[in-house]
Amino acid sequence: MRKAIVLALFATFLVVGAMGAGAQAKLVDIDLWALGAVTEAGNPPDNWVGYQIIRDKLGINLHLVLEPSTPTDQDTKISVAAAANSLPDVFGVNRDMLMKIAKAGLVAQVDSLLPKMPMRTKIHYNDPVRTKLVQISGKMYGLPDPGAMDRVEGVVIRKDWLDKLGLKAPKTLDEFMAVAKAFTEKDPDGNGQNDTYGFGAFYESTGLSSAGFGRRFDCILGAFGVAGMWNLDSAAKFQFNFRDPNFRKAVEFIKRMNDEKVMDPTWSAPNKDEFRARWKQGKFGIMWEQFAALHTQANYKDFDKNFPNGEWVPIMPPVGPQAKSSNGIDIAQARIYAVSAKAMKAGKGDAIARLLEWMASDEGYYLCGFGVEGVNYKKDAKGFISFDGIAPELAYTHKSQQPITQLRNMVYINNDIELAVRYPTYKSQNGKTMDPLATWKFFKNSPYTESTGAGLIDPPSNANDFKRYYDENLIKFALGQQPLNDQTWADFMRGMDSLGAKDIEKAAKAKLIDAGLLD
Amino acid sequence: MLRNVRKHAVFYVMLALPVSYFLVFKYGPLVNAQIAFKDFSPLDGVWKSPWIGLGNFLTFFSSIYFWELLRNTIGLSLGKLLLGLPLAVILAIALNESALRRFRRIVQTITYLPHFLSWVVMYGVLLLLLSPDEGLLNAVIKAAGGQPIGFLYTPKWYPVVVILSDVWKEVGWSAIIYLAAITGIDPGLYEAAEVEGASRLQRIRFITLPGILDVVITIGLLRLGNVLDAGFHQIFVTYSVPVYSVGDIIDTWVYRQGVLDFQFSLATAVGLFKGCIGLALVLSFNRLAKRYTDSSLF
Repeated sequence: MRKAIVLALFATFLVVGAMGAGAQAKLVDIDLWALGAVTEAGNPPDNWVGYQIIRDKLGINLHLVLEPSTPTDQDTKISVAAAANSLPDVFGVNRDMLMKIAKAGLVAQVDSLLPKMPMRTKIHYNDPVRTKLVQISGKMYGLPDPGAMDRVEGVVIRKDWLDKLGLKAPKTLDEFMAVAKAFTEKDPDGNGQNDTYGFGAFYESTGLSSAGFGRRFDCILGAFGVAGMWNLDSAAKFQFNFRDPNFRKAVEFIKRMNDEKVMDPTWSAPNKDEFRARWKQGKFGIMWEQFAALHTQANYKDFDKNFPNGEWVPIMPPVGPQAKSSNGIDIAQARIYAVSAKAMKAGKGDAIARLLEWMASDEGYYLCGFGVEGVNYKKDAKGFISFDGIAPELAYTHKSQQPITQLRNMVYINNDIELAVRYPTYKSQNGKTMDPLATWKFFKNSPYTESTGAGLIDPPSNANDFKRYYDENLIKFALGQQPLNDQTWADFMRGMDSLGAKDIEKAAKAKLIDAGLLD
Repeated sequence: MLRNVRKHAVFYVMLALPVSYFLVFKYGPLVNAQIAFKDFSPLDGVWKSPWIGLGNFLTFFSSIYFWELLRNTIGLSLGKLLLGLPLAVILAIALNESALRRFRRIVQTITYLPHFLSWVVMYGVLLLLLSPDEGLLNAVIKAAGGQPIGFLYTPKWYPVVVILSDVWKEVGWSAIIYLAAITGIDPGLYEAAEVEGASRLQRIRFITLPGILDVVITIGLLRLGNVLDAGFHQIFVTYSVPVYSVGDIIDTWVYRQGVLDFQFSLATAVGLFKGCIGLALVLSFNRLAKRYTDSSLF
């Protein structure tokens, strides 16, 4: 009898063990390199409930790696992995890099995955222009999630400085210069020291579409009708903006700002952190800034502490000599995820589609976007988020909870639920109501230059030499490191052509006409 | 021979580790250098990618920045060598001559400490010193009635900052080897010189300097072999568009063109070019050193 019991138990163990092994064998390993929401906060903990749900419900063993936070470092990581043919199964990638590695055959076509994730396709991949960003010969090589919000940047000015000096917000370029000069010379902060500047900026140029002075000067270039790299008004007018005579006038204006020392002298350095530290220290009174970087509570608090009565307000971009003005360019953009050819070949396509579809479901959306309901947030009947009764240190917005929503940029779609909770109103130190979304709405209603197609233009093979030559010459002109006259300007243009500017224009024009974005 | 090996087995085992290191990490990867002559495709791998001859080298040589890159690389590298090497020797001699042991240790620690800082940290320190608005040095210039200088953004000043900051970071560390060489000099020579009435400067000139000359030449030769390595990390962290014309070096160009533009064959070709130039320089200077100083690497 005892023998029979032992045998029965042994058989049971064998069966259970075999079942376990069977279930284990069904799990698909997926390596995901994600564009983390707050990279420095680190990965979700090993016991993150999301891993368990993904394992139990989707049969996927998710291995998550967060990519570096800057586009250049992301490119480096992807490029090196691609060269070793060891790209992960799914990975976030910038468009220019995607085009290079897709042409090398390392990225899978993903059109076949769309029917397998109908909900996500409907919510995330529904924009035809975004789709064109990831297509080569009509085939999709990436999955284009909605990118950052549009028109989030614009010109802002220190209203308290204007009031102190009895000035009005500038409307024209001449007034812009006059106010910048007054901010530099008339001690607007009243500390008795000559330590302020009119305009602050930094060199923010990450790709061909933002080459030159970088995006912080878009409002100046826009006043001359030459914001951005390209003139996309029509096929007949299509060209690089630097060929437009007004472009040189814009460069001359920036040079004048530099010569008259109304610009913070660090403007030509590529240091965003330094730039943001300096406006919080009250170093300058006009800038082109992103609304959330300026007005959300976390970002505004240092400025608020230093200047409780200080006030940044958005203004319309200055109007130039031909009555033109622009805060920047409207350009097609997306957060792109790609599937490696290797993963598709290994038959992981279905599992990847399952994972992405789940992320677009209510469960995936709220879990990846906001944490666990009742623990990290509460949800009302309409799905809006609140923190009533949630311990502050457990709210998903708290620093200690940042790792659990690292994947939020894979689920966010910039809907009202997200905007309301991401950019809540709050009170400043002097009791003023701060409303970041009001600043965004102001920018949204300000003039921007239509430049959607610029996002589709592929970089040339010598992109780095090309961009370096362009950026370097413009900045040297503005800094006075090389004279700006007819001769030097003609040399500059010749140099651009010797680097293939005409061929780039020709290829770009053909591509945009083909995509239906230029006529 | 086998008997000999068995007899000194312990030494051969000790030798195995560094030899393996060089085989695995230095000689093994040389096989992959063939992609310098190929149009490398990760899918085809190193062996199956098609040969394209010298195309990658020609791309590099025909870059409009080739001569500028070469000039910047060699200029910055030689600047660091010509200033850094003598200063390290002087520091080593000064430390050796110091009678105050405690003071000597403190100075030695302070001077070699920056070696352990990364260039990212050093950049932060440089900003605190050189920022046009709030930098310590510019505060002094402004207090003296001068105009602030954008040391890190001005072509005239940037190479100076690169060379001096490198010397500052490395001089203490470099001095250690010369200090070791000095301690290897027979003390009897100094005692005899002292008895003969030689002054301290004379002892340095006639005993210390000749005593460490071999080491100085060896180090100098090794550094010359690396003259095309001008310090990627330092430049990468500190340079910006206004100073590309004087700061962009071969390695930063390779990073942008090779890694960011996904042209690994080109990056490898430039690496090979650098290696060949380095080898040629070491062989040439070794021969010169042998002829004129009787000291050489081999």
